[in-house]
Amino acid sequence: MDFKDYYAVLGVSESASPEEIKKAYRKLARKYHPDVSKEDDADAKFKDVGEAYEVLKDPEKRAEYDQLRKYGARPDGSFEPPPGWQSASGFGGGGYTEADARQFSDFFEEIFGGGHRGGFAGGGFHRNMRMRGEDVHARLALFLEEVFDGCEKQVSFTVHDVDDHGRVVPRQKTLKVKIPAGMREGQHLRLKGQGSPGMGGGEAGDLLLEIELAPHPTFAVEGRDVLVTVPVAPWEAALGATVTVPTVGSKVNVKVPKGSTSGRRLRLKGKGFPGQHPGDQIVILQIAMPEVHSQEAEALYQQLAEAEKNFNPRSKLHV
Amino acid sequence: MTRTTEMLTVEDSGVLYTLREVCERGGCHAELVIKMVSYGIVEPAPGAGGEEGQQWAFDLPSLLRIQKAIRLQRDLNINLPGLAMSLDLLDEMDTMRREISCLRQRLAQFSSGAGEE
Repeated sequence: MDFKDYYAVLGVSESASPEEIKKAYRKLARKYHPDVSKEDDADAKFKDVGEAYEVLKDPEKRAEYDQLRKYGARPDGSFEPPPGWQSASGFGGGGYTEADARQFSDFFEEIFGGGHRGGFAGGGFHRNMRMRGEDVHARLALFLEEVFDGCEKQVSFTVHDVDDHGRVVPRQKTLKVKIPAGMREGQHLRLKGQGSPGMGGGEAGDLLLEIELAPHPTFAVEGRDVLVTVPVAPWEAALGATVTVPTVGSKVNVKVPKGSTSGRRLRLKGKGFPGQHPGDQIVILQIAMPEVHSQEAEALYQQLAEAEKNFNPRSKLHV
Repeated sequence: MTRTTEMLTVEDSGVLYTLREVCERGGCHAELVIKMVSYGIVEPAPGAGGEEGQQWAFDLPSLLRIQKAIRLQRDLNINLPGLAMSLDLLDEMDTMRREISCLRQRLAQFSSGAGEE
């Protein structure tokens, strides 16, 4: 078991006052709150911060922890509590954080648990209580192609069972889910009854799957529309041309109008997100140049420069 | 223990929750949800009930918003006007994050076409 340095977690010194500890906790709780932070490990950090505060805010627990910190920590970062260690302060939950002991680490449990671990809702477990299981949230990252066509995905998540003693036991659950076509980023899918089981005959919670979109090398998404930048040769833009353009999962021929400029947007109706009101695909033209010109081409450019000498591409820059 | 069951299909995307179900799933009292409605944090689905909270129905995004509000209130000790503002700001941040990621993607696609200087 690793030793947890609660002072380091909160970024305070060993001699920090209760006021400093409270301030550091409040600041970090705001920073790492999973509903606020988008950092990948925000959830874990938020729990660490809550756990550290739970110990350090309480003078009795803090004193015990300080003692352990002095004697229990090994140079390699591992930790064993001294033989016969028993916390005098125990853990009752509640307080400002209304902390839930289920959330805390093995390290915390070893020191302050005293066998209370996972007692339902801080010890108020009633065998005959009827209660609905908790909803479980999970994220599912999909590629644009999968979102467009719908797909079948395997999803793994953790549910919490409650055993006969009221202890909460985590269990890994895996499901195959059919994702309907046309889901959007941030939308949720509900799988009824696939969350944590209920207690005392209460119904199971639901699984709520939030859809995320993996970045795509070719397409960008804006609302219901799909954007794609398509390079065209100067002569295609000047003279007009029919060019092949990728769409999600396929391709289509698009007419580039004569006299197009770089940045021109062409709208392909209904080629965006599928659904009742399908989005469009927007093709943004970008004029591309060959890196090397033949002597013949250079001569033609000379002619062009002569013929178009009144054109100032920098007129907007007033130079 | 891992257990794989047969393929599940999502059917109820237009599900609505009653006030009672929202309270059960949010672990809160009806009064709090009623207050959230009066602060404009969530809106009951149109057509379901009027002034009377008991007949209200909420869609899934509203339920998730109520649950988020409850977590923020519990963990950060925010009052209702603060919650209303925090949630609006979080929504705005979310929209902006998406916009930035869209613009970044477009920029990357644009520069990969144009080459680097």
